[in-house]
Amino acid sequence: MKWGTYLLGLLALLLLGIQLVPNELPEVHIYNSGDLIQSGLVSEDVAALLKTACYDCHSNETHFPWYAKVAPSSWLVAKDVKEGRESLNFSHWEDLNLMQQLGKLDDIAIEVDEGRMPMDIYVKMHREAKLTDAQRRLIVAWAEDTMDRLVEASEAYEDEEEY
Amino acid sequence: MKKLLLIPALALTVFLFLQATSKEANETTIVSVEFDNEIPAHVKAVIDQKCYGCHNAESKNEKGKKKLDWDDFESSRKAKQLATMAKINETLVEGEMPPAKFLESKPEGKLSPEELQTLLDWSSGKKRAPKQ
Repeated sequence: MKWGTYLLGLLALLLLGIQLVPNELPEVHIYNSGDLIQSGLVSEDVAALLKTACYDCHSNETHFPWYAKVAPSSWLVAKDVKEGRESLNFSHWEDLNLMQQLGKLDDIAIEVDEGRMPMDIYVKMHREAKLTDAQRRLIVAWAEDTMDRLVEASEAYEDEEEY
Repeated sequence: MKKLLLIPALALTVFLFLQATSKEANETTIVSVEFDNEIPAHVKAVIDQKCYGCHNAESKNEKGKKKLDWDDFESSRKAKQLATMAKINETLVEGEMPPAKFLESKPEGKLSPEELQTLLDWSSGKKRAPKQ
């Protein structure tokens, strides 16, 4: 009994101690001029899905949950959001050139179709981010369709340039 | 006397012009960003030699095949091809291909600077005038 109390006390001290380890959460910006949804490429239903299932890690509009402020879970949240934004940040969509946008859309279609995104650990903590099969198909169809539309638009633009 | 000077002067002018033209021909200029449905032969040569071994339909390297299958490339639609090119470009810029582990056992698989540049130019989507 005495040992158990000691152990608990030690654990509590340890938990308090690690709160002092510096950990910076990625900055949050609500207004982003280069945002994907604002660019008009996304229908309303797809936009809603992207907001709930992707935007926490793949945009500057992260909603940090309470455990993002408590170590050790804060370390994982900071790492995942940082890495997510590095590989794809919808807030900076307009900064990508046509080729890069096509590459990202193709990746979105593949990752969502194969169920790798959103990540399991994120969905466990955010049940609303869990995608049904129909929702997955909707995102995949949107991504593939948008790829073709972007290419067609660039071709039309090139034709115009020739005159 | 004046006529005599004319000849070397003319020769010098012609010589200077020749310098200018041969220099221009050596430089590659970006002609357009248009998309070419077929991979140019000099690009294909590099791909066949340095990439195709793992990235083909019959490849035993499942991960390599899944990420990129050259047998599938030319038959896929334009948007998909451009997307693939963009991802190839990113991978090459990051220096992730061919994989370091693969090169440990097969150092001759490494891309030469010229080969790397060929692939980078092609995958960036910028069409360049062929070297003369």
